[in-house]
Order: sequence, then structure tokens, then C-alpha cells
Amino acid sequence: MAKIYLQPIGRDTEAVIPAETYERQTGSMKEREQRFVEAREQVADGWGDKGRARVHRKGKMTTWERLELLKDDDAPLLPVGTLVNHGIEFGPRKQTSPGAGVVTAFTRVEQRWVMVIANDNTVASGSWWPLTPEKIIRAQEMARRLRIPVLYLVDCSGLFLPEQARTFPGQTGAGDIFKRNSLLSAEGVPQIAGVFGDCIAGGGYMPIISDKVYMTEIAYMVIAGAALIKGAKSQNMTSHGIGGADVHVGISGCADFRVPDDETCILAMRKEVAALPSSAVPYYRFGADAAPPRFDPEELTGILPADHRVAYDVREVIARLVDASLFWEFWPDTGKEIVTGIARISGLYVGILANHSGLIDDPDQPGAKKPSGILYRRGIAKLSAFSRACNDDGIPMIWMQDVSGFDIGPEAERHGLLGLGSSLIYSISTHVTPMATVLLRKASGAGYYAMAGMPYDPIIQWSTPATRLSVMEGRTLAIGAFNTKLDDEFNIVAETADERAKIATGMKGVEDRIEKDMDPIMSARQMDTDEVIFARELRQWLECYAEMSYQAHGWRRVKNPRIWSLHDLQILGED
Amino acid sequence: MFRRLLIANRGEIARRVIRACSKLGIESIAVYSEADRDAPFVAEADHAICIGPARAAQSYLDMEAILQAAAHTEAQAIHPGYGFLAENALFAQMVAQQRLAWVGPPARVIRLMGEKATAKDCMGAFGLPLIPGSDGVLTGLPQAVELADEMGYPVLLKADAGGGGRGMRRADRPEDLRAAWDAARGEALSAFGNGDLYLEKYLGDSRHIEFQILVDSWGNGVHFFERECSVQRRHQKLIEEAPSVALSDQVRNELGCKVAAAAAGVGYVGAGTVEFLFDRTTGRLHFMEMNTRLQVEHPVTEMITGYDLVEAQIRIAAGEKLWFTQDDIAINGHAIELRLNAEDTNDDFRPTPGTVEKFVIGEPDADLGTVRIDAAVTEGSRVSPYYDSLIAKIIGWGRDRDASIATCLAALEGMDVQGVSTTAPLHAQVLSADDFVEGDLRVGIIPGRPDLSDVVED
Repeated sequence: MAKIYLQPIGRDTEAVIPAETYERQTGSMKEREQRFVEAREQVADGWGDKGRARVHRKGKMTTWERLELLKDDDAPLLPVGTLVNHGIEFGPRKQTSPGAGVVTAFTRVEQRWVMVIANDNTVASGSWWPLTPEKIIRAQEMARRLRIPVLYLVDCSGLFLPEQARTFPGQTGAGDIFKRNSLLSAEGVPQIAGVFGDCIAGGGYMPIISDKVYMTEIAYMVIAGAALIKGAKSQNMTSHGIGGADVHVGISGCADFRVPDDETCILAMRKEVAALPSSAVPYYRFGADAAPPRFDPEELTGILPADHRVAYDVREVIARLVDASLFWEFWPDTGKEIVTGIARISGLYVGILANHSGLIDDPDQPGAKKPSGILYRRGIAKLSAFSRACNDDGIPMIWMQDVSGFDIGPEAERHGLLGLGSSLIYSISTHVTPMATVLLRKASGAGYYAMAGMPYDPIIQWSTPATRLSVMEGRTLAIGAFNTKLDDEFNIVAETADERAKIATGMKGVEDRIEKDMDPIMSARQMDTDEVIFARELRQWLECYAEMSYQAHGWRRVKNPRIWSLHDLQILGED
Repeated sequence: MFRRLLIANRGEIARRVIRACSKLGIESIAVYSEADRDAPFVAEADHAICIGPARAAQSYLDMEAILQAAAHTEAQAIHPGYGFLAENALFAQMVAQQRLAWVGPPARVIRLMGEKATAKDCMGAFGLPLIPGSDGVLTGLPQAVELADEMGYPVLLKADAGGGGRGMRRADRPEDLRAAWDAARGEALSAFGNGDLYLEKYLGDSRHIEFQILVDSWGNGVHFFERECSVQRRHQKLIEEAPSVALSDQVRNELGCKVAAAAAGVGYVGAGTVEFLFDRTTGRLHFMEMNTRLQVEHPVTEMITGYDLVEAQIRIAAGEKLWFTQDDIAINGHAIELRLNAEDTNDDFRPTPGTVEKFVIGEPDADLGTVRIDAAVTEGSRVSPYYDSLIAKIIGWGRDRDASIATCLAALEGMDVQGVSTTAPLHAQVLSADDFVEGDLRVGIIPGRPDLSDVVED
């Protein structure tokens, strides 16, 4: 039967864990979140009141003010790459670049999801720092993969020159942004640019390829600004005179429309979006309306233990993410270390692939238990088969990681985990249906790879404040590195107290270093993850992801649920 | 049209839906608990399937069991009746997910109207007059104090997820508000797991007036005028009538059209009821809530308009466009419904389960009016202690209100029900009371029996 049997899952928090445990876990997760709350505030503050005052003096709005005006009133602003460069100082004056000087965010404009790429004009007049090009490129790539419109709010004084060696050359040098402009255009993804201020060199090139280019009265676009021309040609003129709207709208044709000010420019851009085809989301809801989960996503703060050693029921997490807390679990009786199934989010079908946590029955040794959070033979097969079916059926996937890695040892090798794992890797590498990945807690070793980690091109990868992203836990690595100095019980074997202390210090050093590397702020600052979000924010992000995956029509496979290949697998699993 | 329709309910409403099914040529499927094995609705349905033990949680409220019964019997539609799962958004969603037709509004609308504060906002946006109060749920006690000072006492604190008077407290003075807050919040938390409260001006002297609407799945909405249900005991309606003596034709028609347009505007589908409080001091109506299902008292509307609302519900669920317009609907005469419960009026309305040995209702003279009986029982039926105690609805129609009262009295006079005690004596008292005869009704006061008056606890 071609029906999709979504069943109620989840229980009230009191039934899941004792109230005091819930309170304690909420407390420790909130504590962890605090650093990120502060970091976000710092980024939103840019270069502070001084930076904002400077922008306002010029008669312009700040970037964040523009974004508020641009988005629909009821739409969230969901930024990616918020913590890129966080805490890093550049140039001889040790300057910071909050958000790498650019805001890249998903939001809704005229009921359509868009990617907004907006130079933060309070940070060095929106100039490009190391990793600014990479951040812009990543945002362009997300939009290209989802075929959602890109809106550029350009206000950029060019490269931050003291660090030009780290932004100009190389494969992801600033020039790649313009290549992405071209690819987006070539693939028919709408690009709309508003030019709001000084747009010099790169800032000038970025808008031009867009379908529509708007310029405010005080904006200008130039290959080189007045200062450089003075140096090169000994001519005295203003940048505005060289490349203002008079020139580019009136004479050169490099821009399309002139508008009096920021506010009008943003209204005009909204109007352009309104002229695009409307979202296909209602069409693809297949007989359902969007529905909130029956259990409050806020409760995830206390349901998901911040301590990676504490087990939890991942179905309770899923129950707080999916519409009406309804879930069709696939193959619940095999490969129990993995939970796979279908749900709706915002009324749209998605496939969920998650690690279970805690002990499960060992199918190979009746009566024995083994830990989940590890990839064994059946779980790997389940992930591969389920993800291939989702890919085949055009059901966007959500991978939820809390994984320590593949199983290891003689049994694992005899079971051929290398081969099964490679098959999974091959599958996720070749999927064409959108995937998104959330690293709930552990994302270790090849498990991180095989469950659609960043190298496998998910549309987006989120971390949480509890995420631990590394090749292995520090303790494991320390034991590995000091293997020859340890006995079978992992006790240090040493002749003298001195030597013992040295080994202990060495091992501690390794552990500490890994612990530091695993800090999600570290991943976020160097773009090893797209955004650190709180568990309770995940539902909103998933709504955005699901809606974006179904917004544009005609570019990817979306099958009527009655012809899903999943039904075949379901029937074969019945006996 | 559907070939088979499953009725996820019991008692008189199951029988009512079975009648509508027969009229439409649909095979009816009854689901029943072990306690209802011998109930008339089980025998009368074309097919019947037992879904569990007497306890409602394991039978009439067991969503999975009902869906399995639907799959097993190859039903194409589910009618939830009233009560049980009728306003359960999750069940509506699961029914739709299984590609079964749900005889009712979409889950989204059930959810929307189930959250009282959101429903108020929403209906207010469509121009329905609201009871003065907080804009959505309160942020805390200080906000409640501030608002109450602004609009004047007495005020009511109400649970956002509430109903049936639970999680509701009245405060007459600022100093009462804290205690009312704690009591309402505590009760709301324990009853609904949601302690959100909102504040309303307490309209002491009011009538309960509700509009019946019908919207098809194409956005066409009509109304069937109003019913007055002011005669209540502990928030349970006892006697309902249509039309209300309190409304002028102009108010009736204008507000009715507004209500129908609002329901269509929110995407409502099927039969629904929009409840208002009529402020007797000002003569104004204020939106209270919307019930997203068929009402117990729908027969009074059917009797004065001649439309079969259950038939209409089913035809709308099958995708039909409305086959009549507002102009086709007119009021003819007056109807009063008496809810006959198996309760002992001399013993604090204690339910009196047992076997109905005799069940005869009086017949009025033909020129006086007609009586319609929607009964859950027949002679020999057992009234079970597990479910609510409604055994029959006596609906008396006459060409005007006096005739309608006389019809009802004739029905009671000729009534001979044995085996269980009923609320008939109370009905007779009310119908004969001067206040009732004059139509001088107010919520919380039972004409002829002031001793049974409701007081909202402070």
C-alpha cells in the first residue's frame, strides 16, 4: 500500500527523564550556550557604536538595519558563518573582523526564501578579510545548490589590504566570487544586487553579473577609487564622480536603476523578488498543512545532554523537531544503533538518519549489549539503503550525528566494514537530493565522514555547543600516541618517577590539545562548520531547509509519495 | 460519494450519523467498546467493529485502534461526532495522512481555534467583536494587574488551553488577583499541561449565543443563524433553543454573515459553531470561541431551517461545493432542545446508570408542533457508567416560541422512562418558570431553580 504511516512518537519530558535531571541538563546546556550567545552579540555589534555612527553620518543604514527592512516581518534571519574569524586579529593594528565583515543569511522576502549576502558596513567599511571570500563563496554555493535567489547588499571598500596575500590569490581567492556570480547566472538562479555605498574593485565587480542592479544616490562602483587614481594618474576627482549612478545607470549601463536612498533600494529589491515565481512549497505538501511538533522544541535544551558520555533517546529529539511529532520509522528492528525514517517538516516530507545513543542488544551475541553511537554492519547498510531510497525519491535528508566512528577490531574487518563504509561514502558522494547535517554531539573519525559530514557537501552543516568534531577523542589519541609506554590496562610503564611524570604530562598535553580543537567555536571560526546553533533552534532551521529544498520547482526530482521506492523496501522487509 | 464511513463515536450522535449515511446511501461502520456491545448504534450500523475495553482511553480515544478499524473495514471517511477525538488535531492529521476523508475542518484550523488566545486574535482580525482583554497570553501577574486596572473589575483569568470552566478564575478586586492567578495557573497546568493564561473582562450579566456555520472546501461559507444556550449548569448546557429572543433580524443577519466570512477566511471546512457572549447591559455580542465540530444542539437549527447538517458535513467532506446559498436559508418557527441525562436531580445530578426498561416520550397535538427525539437508547438499553449520561435529546418545534415550549411540555407530560432517573423534572420546572417563558435568560442562572446557579469561583 502506498501509504505513509506516520505514527506519534515522543513523551512528555517528565516521562523521559526525571525533572531534576531535566533541570540539571538544561542548566549545563545553557551554560555552554552562553559563550555563543555572547559571541553572536559581538558579531552583531560589528565595530560598535563608532562604526554605526560613521555609517549613519553618511546618511546610510547599517547592514543589520537593512536586513530588518528587507525581510518579511514574520520571517527569521538565519545567518551562516557567524563566527568566521571570531577572535582572530589581523594586520599591524591587530584589528578584528566580526563575521569576517559580511553577513550571509537565509531569510524570507515576499514569501520566498533567499540568501542575502551583505557586507557589514560597520566593519572597516565592508572590506574583505581573510576568509571573507570563502564565506561569500559558501553562501553562493548554498543558494546555487537550492536554486534560491541571491540578494547582494553591496557596501564594500575592497580588500583589507594589509592581509591581501591571504585574500587575493589562490583557488578560493576573491576572484572565485565572480566565478560563482557567473555560475549562478548560468544556471538561472536569480541574483539581485543593491549598491549602497563605496564599491571599489571587488565590491564593484560583485554586483555587475546580477540580473538586476540598483544604485542609491550616494553609491558608486569603480574599478579603482579616487585615491588610487590620484596616485596613478595625478588626477583629482571624487569616486562618486567617477562611478556614481550618473555614470553607471545613465552612461555606462553597468547598473539598471537609481534609487534615492537605502530604504527605497530595499523596497525595490523586495519588489523584484515578488516578481519571481512563487514558492512551490504549498504544492509539494501533499495533502498536509505545516504543523508544529506536539512537544516543544525548547525542551531539547534539557533533553539533549551536553555531556557526551550521557545517553539519551534520539526519538525524543526527533519528536521535538518534526510536524505533529509524527514519524514513520524504517526498519526499527534491525541496525538499532541507527534510527531512520520519514517525517514532515513544514508539511514537507524529509528523511531522517540519526545515531541512537546508549546500549542496544547485540544481534550477534544473544543476551549481550553493545554501545550505539558506533557504526556496525547493519547500521551502515541501513544508512546506505535508506539514503539511496531518499535520494531516489527526492526526499531531502537530515543527518543527525552523534557518532564515535566505525566499529574496529578483527570482527569489524571480517565483516568488511571497509567495504560497507565505502559503499556508504560512495552513496552520499553521489546523492543529488539535498542533504543537511547536524552534529548533535560527537562527530568522530570516519563516522563523521560517512554520515554526510562537511566534506560530503551537505547543503549545510550545523554544530551545537555540545559538538565534538575530531578524528577521535583526546584520550584515545593520547593512548595511541603513547602506546609503547603503556601496559595492557593503559597504565604508564616507566623506570623512574621522572619518566612517568614526563609521559603523563605528554599524554595530558595531547588530550588538552584535542579538547581545544574540538571546541565548536574553533570549527566555526575556520569554517569547518557552517553555523553553531542551539538544539532548540534546530526546528526553525529545519523548516527553512525543508522549505528551501522544495521552493524552486523543476530543478530536482520530487516524486509523488505513492511511487516512492521506499514502499518496495518496506514490502520486502515485511516478512 | 464515499462507499463506507466510519463513525468514531457512540450513543445518540453515532445513531444520528448512521441516519445521515443511510440517506446518502453510504454504508456506516460503528466502532464500539466492550461496554457498548448491545447498544442500539452498534445494531443499526451496517458494520460494527469492537475496538477495545470500556475505558474510553482504550477504545473511543485510541487513535491507532480506530485507524486500524478504518483500514480493516476499508472505510473512506471518518466522522468524529462530538467529544472524544472530534477536536483532536493530531487525530485529524493522522486521518488525513492516511488519505481518509476527515468529516471536519483541517488539523491546522482545529489547532488554531484550540488555542483560545490565538483564536481570539484571528477572529478579531476578521472583524468579530471581542471581549475586552489581554492581547494574547499574559507575560505574568504584573501585566494582568496592569490590564485589570485599566479596564476595571471584575475580570476573568482563563487558561489558554482551557475549556469547560477549568483553569478559569474570577477576581473582583485587585487584591484577589494574585490568588486567582495562582489558582487558575495551577489548575491549567495540571489539567492541560499548559499554564498560559489570558485575561478577560468578566461579563456578569450575559447570554450564551452561538452561530452555526457551514463552509465547503472551496471557501464558500454560510450561516444558519443562532442558538441560545444560556440555560447551563456548571458550564454544561441543559436547554438550547433557536432562534434567540435577544437578537434583532438585523444583528442576526449581519453578524451571521461576518461569522461565515471569518470561518471561510481562516480556511475552515465543514460545520462549526462560533460562540458569543451577549452582554445584557450593553446589548453587544463578544466572540468567545469557535467549536470545530458538530454541536450536541445542532438539531434545533435543523428544525427551524429544514437543513440536514450532518448530511451537509459528509457531502462537504466528499468535496462537494455548497448546493445552496445564504439566501435559501430562512427561519421557520422555533425549536427548543432538552438534554435528557440519566442523572438524579435530587442527588446532586449523580449519574444513574442502569437498564432503560421503558422509554416513551409524549406526543403533542399535531397543530401544536412536532417533537423530534435523538436518543442514545431504546427500551432494554443499558446506560453505562463509563461515558457521559446523555440518553436522549428532546427537540420540540412550534410555529413560535410559546408553541415550542408547549410542545416540549407535552413531550415531558407524556414521557414514561423507567429504569433510570432522568433530568426531566428539572426541564419541566425550567420550561414553566416565568423567566424562561419570557425569554429572560442569563448564563449561570437556571430559571425556576435559582438554587442551582453557577458562580464562577473567586
